[in-house]
This record gives sequence, C-alpha cells and structure tokens, in this order.
Amino acid sequence: MTRTGILTNIQRCSTEDGPGIRTTAFLKGCPLNCVWCHNIETIDSNPRTVWHSEKCIGDKACIEACPEGALDLTTEGMVIDLRKCLVCGTCEEECPAGAIEIIGKTWEVDALVEELIRDKVFFDTSNGGVTISGGEPLLQHEFTKELASKLRVKGVHVALDTTGYASESVWRSILEHVDLVLLDLKQMDPEKHQEFVGIPLERVLENAKILTEVGMPVWVRTPIIPDHTDTRENIRAISKFIAQYMQTVERYDLLAFNKMCIEKYSLFGLEYPLKDYDMIEKEKMEVLAQLACEEGISNVTWSGMTKRDDNESELTRTNEVKTCG
Amino acid sequence: MTLDNERASGKIWSPSDTLSNRVKRLRNQFYSFHDRTETNEPYSFTTGTKWDEVYSTHDWAQEPALYPFFASINATLQAMAIPVALPDDYWDHGLAMRRAIFFHEVMTKHMPVTILDDEMVVGFNFSTALSKSLNKSETKVRNKEMSKWFEEAGRLNAVGIGTATSVPGHIIPNYAKALSVGMKGLVEEYEGILKGDISPKHREFVESLILSCKTARDFNKRYADKARELLESTTDPERKSELEEIARICDMVPWNPPETFWEALQALWTVHILVMAAESYPGAGLSHGRWDQYMYPFYKASMESGDLLPEKAKELLHCYWIKHNYVYDFQGRLGLNQGINSGFGQLMTLGGCGPNGEDMANELTWLALDVIEEMNLLEPKPNVRIHKNTPDDFLMKIAGMLSRAQGSPFLLNFDEHSIDGLVWQGVPREDAWDYGVVGCLENTMQGNDRSDTIDVNINLAKAVELALNDGKDIATGQQMGLKTGDPLSFTTYEQFRDSVKVQLAELIRLLTRCGSMADTIRAKYQPTPYLSALMDGCATRGKDINEGGTDWNFTTVEGMGIATLVDSVAAVKMMVFDQKRITMKELLAAIHDNYKNQEEIRQLLRQKAPKFGNDDDYVDEIAREFSTFWGEETFKHENPYTGKRYRAGYLSWNYYIPLAPLTAATPDGRRRGEFLSGGVGAVQGMDAKGPTASIRSVGKLGLETIPNGASHTITLSPSMVRSQENVAKLAALLRAYNEVGGTALQINIINSETLRDAQSNPDKYSNLLIRVTGYNAYFTQIGRELQEEIITRTEHNL
Repeated sequence: MTRTGILTNIQRCSTEDGPGIRTTAFLKGCPLNCVWCHNIETIDSNPRTVWHSEKCIGDKACIEACPEGALDLTTEGMVIDLRKCLVCGTCEEECPAGAIEIIGKTWEVDALVEELIRDKVFFDTSNGGVTISGGEPLLQHEFTKELASKLRVKGVHVALDTTGYASESVWRSILEHVDLVLLDLKQMDPEKHQEFVGIPLERVLENAKILTEVGMPVWVRTPIIPDHTDTRENIRAISKFIAQYMQTVERYDLLAFNKMCIEKYSLFGLEYPLKDYDMIEKEKMEVLAQLACEEGISNVTWSGMTKRDDNESELTRTNEVKTCG
Repeated sequence: MTLDNERASGKIWSPSDTLSNRVKRLRNQFYSFHDRTETNEPYSFTTGTKWDEVYSTHDWAQEPALYPFFASINATLQAMAIPVALPDDYWDHGLAMRRAIFFHEVMTKHMPVTILDDEMVVGFNFSTALSKSLNKSETKVRNKEMSKWFEEAGRLNAVGIGTATSVPGHIIPNYAKALSVGMKGLVEEYEGILKGDISPKHREFVESLILSCKTARDFNKRYADKARELLESTTDPERKSELEEIARICDMVPWNPPETFWEALQALWTVHILVMAAESYPGAGLSHGRWDQYMYPFYKASMESGDLLPEKAKELLHCYWIKHNYVYDFQGRLGLNQGINSGFGQLMTLGGCGPNGEDMANELTWLALDVIEEMNLLEPKPNVRIHKNTPDDFLMKIAGMLSRAQGSPFLLNFDEHSIDGLVWQGVPREDAWDYGVVGCLENTMQGNDRSDTIDVNINLAKAVELALNDGKDIATGQQMGLKTGDPLSFTTYEQFRDSVKVQLAELIRLLTRCGSMADTIRAKYQPTPYLSALMDGCATRGKDINEGGTDWNFTTVEGMGIATLVDSVAAVKMMVFDQKRITMKELLAAIHDNYKNQEEIRQLLRQKAPKFGNDDDYVDEIAREFSTFWGEETFKHENPYTGKRYRAGYLSWNYYIPLAPLTAATPDGRRRGEFLSGGVGAVQGMDAKGPTASIRSVGKLGLETIPNGASHTITLSPSMVRSQENVAKLAALLRAYNEVGGTALQINIINSETLRDAQSNPDKYSNLLIRVTGYNAYFTQIGRELQEEIITRTEHNL
C-alpha cells in the first residue's frame, strides 16, 4: 500500500519559500499553537468541512446530500455540526458552486510527487524546487521522508519548512532527504516561547544545532510580531545563537507582521487574536536587521509591508497608455 | 493587442530626467496634440474626376465599431480632397503606373513639408487618403464588388461569426536592403529586369516601381530645401550647423545608401513614412523587423570613426523615436477620436537568435532598451526575441525593465516555438531564424512576406452555439452553420465534439471565402508600387505586393475565444457525458434561457468542470485537439486569385468585447454578453493556479499549427518583482517559458486601478498572486482591509 498524507494546499509559482521558483506543499497538522498563526487551517491534523459564504447560492444541495444530517442553513449562515460530520465529502461533491470545501485532502505519495514536479522546468531555470511546509510537516514524518526522497530521485531540490519541533531521531532521519531547511526561530526566552508558541524551546534549539553538525544549509526565519517577538533582546539572542551554533546558516530573514489571515479565521468562526495590532514600523525592521548584522550574521534580509508613512505625497499621474497585447 | 486604457504611475514609468532639453521639448511637442499647429492628420488627394474614390472600406473593416461611420468618413475625405494636376497621358497607363504617378505628384508637390524646431531626423506629414486612381468603368466594377463583399462581411459580423477584410500595414518591408543599396540600388536592379524579355504589362509595372523609388529621392530633396530655407532665418550657430547637416543628408538619402548612423536613421525614417503614405495607412503594423541587426553596422561605423559621441548617438535615437508617435495624430479626426490609444504598432524586433542558435543582441540592442525606458513613449513598439541562448545579463535587463514598468514596455517573442510555426507553414528552417514581428506579436519573415495578420478574425466559441442549435444562430434563428442535428440525439461525447468541429470548419469556410472577396478587390484595384518596390520578388514576378507578388503570401485568421470554446466542450464532456450530472436537455434549456433561473446548473458548469489554464490534462487535451484542428483546417483554404493561403493565429485584439453580446450563453457557464477569452489566455479569472500552470497549459496547445503566434498575457503584482532576487525569478520564468510555453508573452505589472477592479470583481482575478511577508497569496482571497493597504501602497510605489 502506498503511503498517504494530508495536505491543505499546493501552491505553485511560489517565490517566497526558498530559492528560485518553487511549488510548496502544505501538510496538515501542527503541534504548535502560535498566537499569531497565519495558517490555522493547518493546525488540526484532521480534515474539516468549511463553508464559503460568498460562494453559496443557497440551493441547499449540500444539506440534501449529507448522509449524517450535519448541515443546516440558518439566518446566521451554514451551521456545520462537527459532532455529526464524518468529513465524507458528499456535500463538497454535490455543491455546484464550490461553497463547501473539505480542508485537508489525502494524497498518495507517488501521485503527489507527479503533481509537484509539473513545474520542473521552472525549478531548473530558477534553481528552485519543492518546499515541504505546513503545519509542521514532521507530524507526518514518514510521509515527508518518502516524499522528499522520491522528489530528489527526480532531480528536484527539496526544502523543508519546519518549526524544528521533532524528536532527535525523526529530525536526523529527515535531514538525509532534504537539501535545505527553512527553520523558524521565533522567541529565545523559554518561558515566552512556551507561552506564545505552546511548546518547549529547548528541543528546537537542540535540533537547530544538529543542522550544523550534519552540514545542512539553513535559512532561519523570524516572524516579527508586535509584543511577541519584536524586541531587540529577542533578535539579538537569536542572532547570537545563530552566530554561535549555526555555521551553516546561509541567510536570516526577518518577516514583518501582517494580518492577511483575518479572513481565514472567520472561515472557522474565529477571530484573529492579534487583529488589533498595527503593522511594524519600517525603522524598526531596519534596526532589527542591522542588529542581526552586528552579531556577525552575513546575509540578513527583512521583508513585508510596514506601517505606512501617511505624509508620502500623492504622485502625479499621467494619462498615457502603454499596453499592447 | 488590447485597448485597455491602462494608466501608468508617473514615478514608475516616466521619461527619464536625464533627457536633453531638446528631447524634452520634442516630447512635449508631441504631447501638445490639442494645442500645436503642426499635425499629421490626413490630407486627402483626388484625380479630380467625379467618380474618384479616396477611401477603401476594406482597409479598415477589421473594426466592426467603425462600420456605421464608413459612409461619413468616405464623404468627409472626398469633400476635403485636394485635386492633383496630372499629365495628359495619365489615363493611358495601367493602374499600377497611375498609382505611382499620383503618389509621385502628391509627395513631391502637394504634401506639406515641415521641420520642427530642434529635430534632427525629419519627415513630418505622411497621413494620406490617396485617390485610388481608377477610371470610370474600373470604379463601377470595384464599387459593385465592394458592396457585395461588404454585405457578406456585415452578415457574418452581425451574428458574431467574425470579421473578414483586407487591411494594409502589418508587414516588414525590406528596409535592410533599402539601406544597404539605397533606393538607387533598387532602381539599378529593376532596370536590369527591364533589359530582359518581359511583357509590356510587366515592363510598365517595373517602371512604376522605379518611379516610386525616385519619389523617395525627390521627396527628401524637398526636406533638404526646407532645411536650407530655415537656415536663412536661424541665428543659433549650433542649429545652423544641424540644419546644414540635415540638408546634406536629405539630399543624399534614401537615394544613396547611408554611411553614418545619422544618415541611416534619416534614410530609414523617410523610407518608412512613405510606405504609410503610399498605403494611406499610418502606422498600424508597418514594422521595422530586426532593426538592431541592420542598423548596427551604421552605428558601429559612426562610433569607430569617432565622429559621433555616444551621447549624441543616443540623442539622435531619441529624436528618431519620437517621430513614430505622430501616427496617432490620425486619430484626431474621422470619428476615431477616443483620445490617443495605443492601438497602432510600428514594431521593432530586438535581440533573438542567429542561424546557428547564437545570440544576436549587440551594443545597439542594449542602447535601444535604454532609449525605450528613458523615452516612455507609445511608439515604436519593441518586441524582444528570447531564445535558449539568450544571455543571463540580457534576460535580467529585460526582467528589470518589466519590473519597473506598469503596462508593458515590450512584448516577448520566443524563438524556438515561433520558428517551429514558420517552418510548419513552409519556410525553410535555414531561413526561419531571421523572422521578425509585425503588428503586436505576429511572426512573419522580413522583406518578403505579406501575411495580413489581422484580416480575418474568427469567433471560435460560436461553433459551440451552432453545434447546440443545429447550425442556427440562437438569437436570430438564422441558419448560419451546417445542420449537424438535434443535440438531443447525441448519445456520445464524440458526436457532440464532431458537430463542433463541423461547425468550426464551416465558419472557417465562410470567413475565408469572405476574406478572399476583399483580398481580390484589393489585388485588382489597389496596387501599391512603392511598397512593392521594397518587397522581394514583386519586380521579378511582375506582380504587386497586393496581388501576391512577394515570396510568402498568407492571410491570417486570428482565433478569438479558444479558452471559451474548450472550456465549453470540456464542460459538456464531463457534466453531460462522463458524469451525467446534467442532461443535454437541461443544458440546452439553460443556454436558451441564458442561465436565467438556472444558477445551480451555471455554477456546476463554471465551478466543477475543468478549465483551460490550470495545467489540467483533461481540458488541456481537448484544447490541443481543437487548436490543431482549426489551425490545420484554416491552412486548407486559399484565395486562388492571389494565391494567398490562410494560416491561423491567436491575436484577440479587443474582439472578445464586441463579440460577447453576439455569442449565446456557453456551456462553460458564461452568459451572453460576458467576455470571451482573449488570446490564448484562460477565460478571465478561471486560471486559479498561478502563472506557471497557465504557461504549461498554453504550451500544450500544439502551437506549431498556429504559425502567426499566440498572444498570452500574464499579470503580476508589483510586489512580485520588487526585489532584485525576485526580478531574477522573473527572468528564470521567462527562460522556462521559452521551453514549455507559447510563442509570445506580455507581462503586465498591474497598477492600483486594476487592483481596485480586482477588489470589486474577484471572479475575474482569481489568478492574481501577491507577495506577502515570507509567502505568496492570492489578492482576491485576502481581507478587504489588507486589499486596501496593498492598493494604497501600489499607488505610492512603496
């Protein structure tokens, strides 16, 4: 029997998940509970039925089709009784409008490999490849391992985008099958780490050190979240750790906070806990990046939208036309 | 070509601050269209006979929106026509000679001669409406044939089958040869033909070509005289010496071959504007071909001699560039005044491969790219050829320019796939590498090819409507197609599929037959000896360019709505025959009702059937089957009168808009009135898997049977190309396109207005990727608040 895994999404032409043009596979399930999580649909390991209100045409085909009677269209919208729902997919199948979606699709590893290498030519011209992301892909480590090794057989560069939270044996065994690790280091204060992320810091740091031991190229990434990770002390501590223990780090990215995920939370009937936070000031990002440089890290970048300076003057616009196709 | 009035943000894509004061003044001169006294609006000229015609409907009938205005445009031009005195024996000559004499008289005696302050390359007025020079009986027959063709063209257009006509422009004259031997050299060659044993008719035709070449000489002498006249009133010593040089150059070229870069630019400009004057067709598609190749020796000579400083060379180029934009003055009158749009295209092919696949870009190519970016003008329109040996630094330059532009500074043509198409249509592979691009993105050979790339336009999606209604137009009930039977009798997908093919073949037959009527009229009554003199083979064969006198003679049928067609066929296959989720009866009812009260069915067809543009083999195989089918079917037809064969292309211009209300609801869930797909792109908003998937779908079409080439547009958000690292990824995307994509690509970096539109019409923009901190997201799927933020930032170029 072929091994299967559960994915939430496959993103092609991804330019932000490692070098070159990449296809990113998002695996479902994550042991962390980051307060600022952007992909809440990837936390739960199990598939789940969701309803897209803006697509619904109210024909109730899903309700009629549901063998468990788990759906009800009320004045408040669709109510999905999660105790009854077996996530059988009948409603998704029957809905003509694509308003019902099962988040979390099962893939056989061989079929997934075929799907992920469709953009092989783009990987080749850009030194890109496939990024296995999540959730935390190592929650499905056997699947991840097989996927990575089969992709490499096809000549595809494989990056693992991970929280670094896995047992040492799992960690060591996966590293043999990937070319690059994108590792999140979020918070260096163990108590805060436990509080904001929901897991102990120590395991992550131990695993980070192993990367150097085995000579694995690494890109470290820190989400700069206001009041959670955005202090100088934190960035300095992360930078010191990298400088001291992670000689194979090729690049350190600081990712500015944003609130793109608000819509996703509403899909699950939730509110984004950080919805009231403002974006980070540009100056702060620059200061933090500079700080990392000062700690001796050679390739530091920061990216993302920052708080707007509203004094920016309105640009004059021309009425010229320039398109032909 | 699109007619989108995309505006550019001043900061991102504006003229460079480094332009010289002279160039800034010249640029402003052009843009002062509503104030300036000098304009290149058309002058009309008549033989003075009461039956004279100065306008040909078939020259403009690719644009159905103009049909109601033809009569008044014709009358206006007639009324404003200036009579031209002609020699006594004028009417004794054959038509080609009459046209040549008329052209000579107009250009050497009547056309105003203007030199603008500061300009260094001269030649201003070239918009004409020239007498067709027909005698009374020719006029009578011509007008009768014209009415018959126009009636048929109107009949096909009225129900949205397409357009069929015969349009000037869209050609690359042999400018390279005209520069290397001079018009004098062409005359010497043609005099050699006269020494042979040829028919009197052939003889007179060749003489008409010789007279036309002399017209170019005499025309520029007037500019030399004008420069000398201005000298007298000029006090500035610098300008005085420039005018002396202009006078010297215009006395010399284009009759003698140029030697310096300045001379070559002047010779080229003169030869070029005279084609527009001779065809009475300013600008649209009259293209330069591989400009950077044949201009390079002159550039190199001037640089090596030290007579021309690099800054001066660039300023000359700036001056030459601006001139091309005066074609748009033509749009100022004649009911075409919707403001200046970029609908014309004097294309300039840059870069590309040589005979052995080597890269041909040179110093002048790089200089031209700088000029394009510095000038920020509508014309000339550059097309950059990319191939597998395009160097990385060149590709990065291209990607960088794309990333800084809003709207596209140029189109990209991909050599290997383009060449495959030309070879398929019969061009030997050892010649095909030297192709050029006309109009927008249409591939043709240079100097020996008239492929009439916008003459016939077919609504491919219409075949589905006819197949679902036994050949009858649904709105009017007219039997336009063949009787393929009641769709309720179809028991298999194959029966349905074959009916669509039968209807497609019939539409191709109807349109090519109509196109041939127009092509024949043009061949009989509109010889253009000046252009024929610049096209290989016409003199030897004794045939005008419009009679099929050059080496490669095609008429291109441009296919509209391929994605609408294949999405519709795929939806019927999957939902009616494979999965049986709806019956044919339900489908027909929904289509006849335009999906009114049929939202469930419409959603099912739209959301659950596979769509072209997503790298989905189920529908991409259908796309390939239909694309190659109609490409091959088109190639079976030719006009026996001119010997011009029909070939296929995908250039949708703006037809997906006017054809929309004329095309019934389609089984892909599209309602009547909703746009058809454009070029080889997906139906708007239906390609939801990003640029790479869309590129792969296009690559699967089997475009070698579409020798004209295929228009493919990819829209990117500025955030995708903001950093140098991401620009490199765009360059890599272009390199991959050359391997797995189509023949021609336009990259649009969108502006905030497009983002606003995406915000209000998310269905149309489901493919629009943006770059967020550390990941990509689809613009339409993020929250409203964030959308606002991104739009504001785009406006401010943050």
